[in-house]
Amino acid sequence: MKHIEMILLCLAVLLCLTACCKDRNLVVLLPEPGGTTGQILVSNQGGSQLLQEPNMATTILSAQSAPKKPEPMGEQEIQETFGEALVALPSPPIHFILYFKTDTTEITNESRKLLAKVLPAIADHESIDVSVVGHTDRFGTRAYNYQLALERALLVQKMLLALGINPQFIEVTSHGEDNPLIQTADEVREPRNRRVEVVVR
Amino acid sequence: MKKFLGFIVAACLLAPVAAQALDTAVGSIKMVRGTSAIMRDMAAVETKNGTRIFRNDILKTGSDGSMSIVFRDDTLLALGPNSEFAIKEFLFSPAEGKLSIVTRLLRGTAVCVTGIIGKLSPQSVRFETPVANIGVRGTRFAVKVENPAE
Repeated sequence: MKHIEMILLCLAVLLCLTACCKDRNLVVLLPEPGGTTGQILVSNQGGSQLLQEPNMATTILSAQSAPKKPEPMGEQEIQETFGEALVALPSPPIHFILYFKTDTTEITNESRKLLAKVLPAIADHESIDVSVVGHTDRFGTRAYNYQLALERALLVQKMLLALGINPQFIEVTSHGEDNPLIQTADEVREPRNRRVEVVVR
Repeated sequence: MKKFLGFIVAACLLAPVAAQALDTAVGSIKMVRGTSAIMRDMAAVETKNGTRIFRNDILKTGSDGSMSIVFRDDTLLALGPNSEFAIKEFLFSPAEGKLSIVTRLLRGTAVCVTGIIGKLSPQSVRFETPVANIGVRGTRFAVKVENPAE
């Protein structure tokens, strides 16, 4: 019974597309590749609905009427509604994580090997938009860490330019201690957070 | 040593200015299919792989169009045909405590995977539509907004 109702709803939606009749809007939560699912809260003047299971969907008739109780949305319906967008979903950016030898301006040997993979990845990924982002751990003041991370990001930028990357592709920023790989309390040393990430979009 | 430090300090003072000009781009287009455009300051902008996108841009696709976008915080976005999508706000400077991504699907279909802003500050991710707003906690979702009657 519910299944048939869902199909009728989808048909109604598809018909609406051509007839341009009343608003029929929907939000569906999709599973992530790793198998986990997040949560989304859909809300308006009328009320709200929480989606926390994969393929659960809520329809919203208008800005004033509350989103409908979540119902499962079949794979086929998802394909029919979102097929073109799903195919167009881009692959996630590639992150190269580089580390420096302690208290120097040199990157480790392992990182040097990784750095050599950046330009081929840029070509492969057909990217012309690359970020070089410096990070530190939470040991030291935030201001000091911001500057240190920026310094190191600039050094990596120089290395990439020396390797032949087009300067127009690169943007350099610092996230200081505020975007750690591993969460720690303040003033805790964590070498894995002291990194420069090259992000290839 | 002092000279070296002096150089680094000078470079640091200059670098944020240089970085700033590039920093205003919020992401870039990865792929464009069919009829698609970016509307910026009321004019259509050439749209292809690598085209940078900025706050206040409106992304549009025609009946045969689709678009792939990657934001600077790794948020992934795909637009299906007959869609219109506005970028209202994008702040990604964790060191300054500035984290925000606010977008609006005006019509059509979109599939979205949230990125680092969603991980660092889930409450800073808002996806709007004409009928409801979506608060997102680091996840993957799809939205359809019906074409308003013309």
